[in-house]
Amino acid sequence: MMGKMRKKWVWLIPLIIAIILWEVIAIIINDPSLLPRFSMVIISFYELAIKGYLHPDISMSLYHFGIGLLAAFCVGVPLGILMGWFKKIFILLDPVVELIRPIPPLAWIPLIIAWIGLTHHAAGFIIFIGALFPIMISTYTGIKDTPKVLIDTGKVLGCTTDLKMIRYIALPYSLPSIATGTKMGMGVGWMCVVAAEMFGVSESGLGYRLFSEFYQWNQLDYVIAYMLLIGIIALILDRLFRYFVEDKLFKWKKGIVK
Amino acid sequence: MSRYLVLDKVTKIYDSNNEKVHSLIDISLEVEPNEFLCVIGPSGCGKTTLLRLIAGLDTPTTGKIMLDGMNIDGPSPERGMVFQEFSLFPWRNVLKNVEFGLEILGFENKREIAEHYLSLVGLNKVKNKYPYELSGGMKQRVAIARSIATNPSILLMDEPFGSLDAQTRNIIQDELLKIWEIEKKTVIFVTHSVDEALYLADRIIIMSRSPGRIIEEIKVDVKRPRERTDPTIVKERYRILKLLGVEIKKIANV
Repeated sequence: MMGKMRKKWVWLIPLIIAIILWEVIAIIINDPSLLPRFSMVIISFYELAIKGYLHPDISMSLYHFGIGLLAAFCVGVPLGILMGWFKKIFILLDPVVELIRPIPPLAWIPLIIAWIGLTHHAAGFIIFIGALFPIMISTYTGIKDTPKVLIDTGKVLGCTTDLKMIRYIALPYSLPSIATGTKMGMGVGWMCVVAAEMFGVSESGLGYRLFSEFYQWNQLDYVIAYMLLIGIIALILDRLFRYFVEDKLFKWKKGIVK
Repeated sequence: MSRYLVLDKVTKIYDSNNEKVHSLIDISLEVEPNEFLCVIGPSGCGKTTLLRLIAGLDTPTTGKIMLDGMNIDGPSPERGMVFQEFSLFPWRNVLKNVEFGLEILGFENKREIAEHYLSLVGLNKVKNKYPYELSGGMKQRVAIARSIATNPSILLMDEPFGSLDAQTRNIIQDELLKIWEIEKKTVIFVTHSVDEALYLADRIIIMSRSPGRIIEEIKVDVKRPRERTDPTIVKERYRILKLLGVEIKKIANV
């Protein structure tokens, strides 16, 4: 009983040690413009909550994130399927993909502003660029790795067209891989939120507030509070995805993976 | 229900790194309706290729394969196949696996049919389990149920029991014979095991080392249920092993 409890809470130990170290080092440095104390950040966080910053900022950032992720999913999955199933499409698209993929989402900002101006969709586009490639490449890999014997089985059982083979065999086989790619895409996309909001598409949003207000005001404690908030939201998104999507899709994979 | 299968001078040549590899040479064969035919031969002699050609998963380089006088072009549910590797769809449970072909073909009573064939292989009680929860023998039983659910006239089996232990193998052989007798199908069964072939087949085709040709045909005139130690079987076993031994020696000398 005690052992089980210990195992369940053991993750708290490094966290607590890190917080104590942070607090002690901040006290020694004694300069909030370099490193505000943890306790001070907590108080600032509370202040920001009372001032009513959190709710509009979180919703705005989730809105931008949602636009980008949805677009990345709607473009990445079909393209990944086409590239994974049809070798000719892969040969045609692969050079283009590999050329665009290494360009950081940040580098797109000037072009995006020129194209669609300072709109929510511009922010969404930056997140889209970040989330697209993990989703697309995981989809492609899953489809391409569909075991030949399953495809042959499908053919013998009446899957005569590419569409049927994709729909009944390659796509269901790839779903866990697509889910993993989506999770990775969510991670990268969320990281792009700050960059996407820092050029001023909106008057709120975690990234906007962090960069265009708190940083300009030299409020490092607010900056750190928002950094932590960005991390916590990512963690919650990840856990929600794992609980609602991944665990269900991976059920049949138990025998293969673990 | 079963149909007459004819292979006429079938040759298969593969292109591998710009080199032509002969897999099968000049295979001519007639298989009667409801016949249980076993194909045996050394590793790599093209037995699997032969089945894939009949299934329509590959096309012959020259020669013809005909079912009731009609050329075979492409796979069809009238020729079911059970593969050597486990081939169940891992994301579908047992029942949904057996329903697969019926679903594609648009059967309305797919559940009923699937349950019927599952009980035929004795697996109705595990119909809600996923493939990873099944033993090797159960997986192959489900694969058999799935391949006959769409009522094919020919059942192609590519060493389906190769990875099973000896005891499971003996049991599942009897089950297969029972199904074959009930369902009246032509079975073409590829195997490595001379004992298996002699226990199951009406007729055995023995193939040479690669490139595969038919070197001998043996009728097994022993009534079923057979004793594995029946004198005729023991005698034929000796003869087949000698033939195969010569072929395997040829491989070793190359």
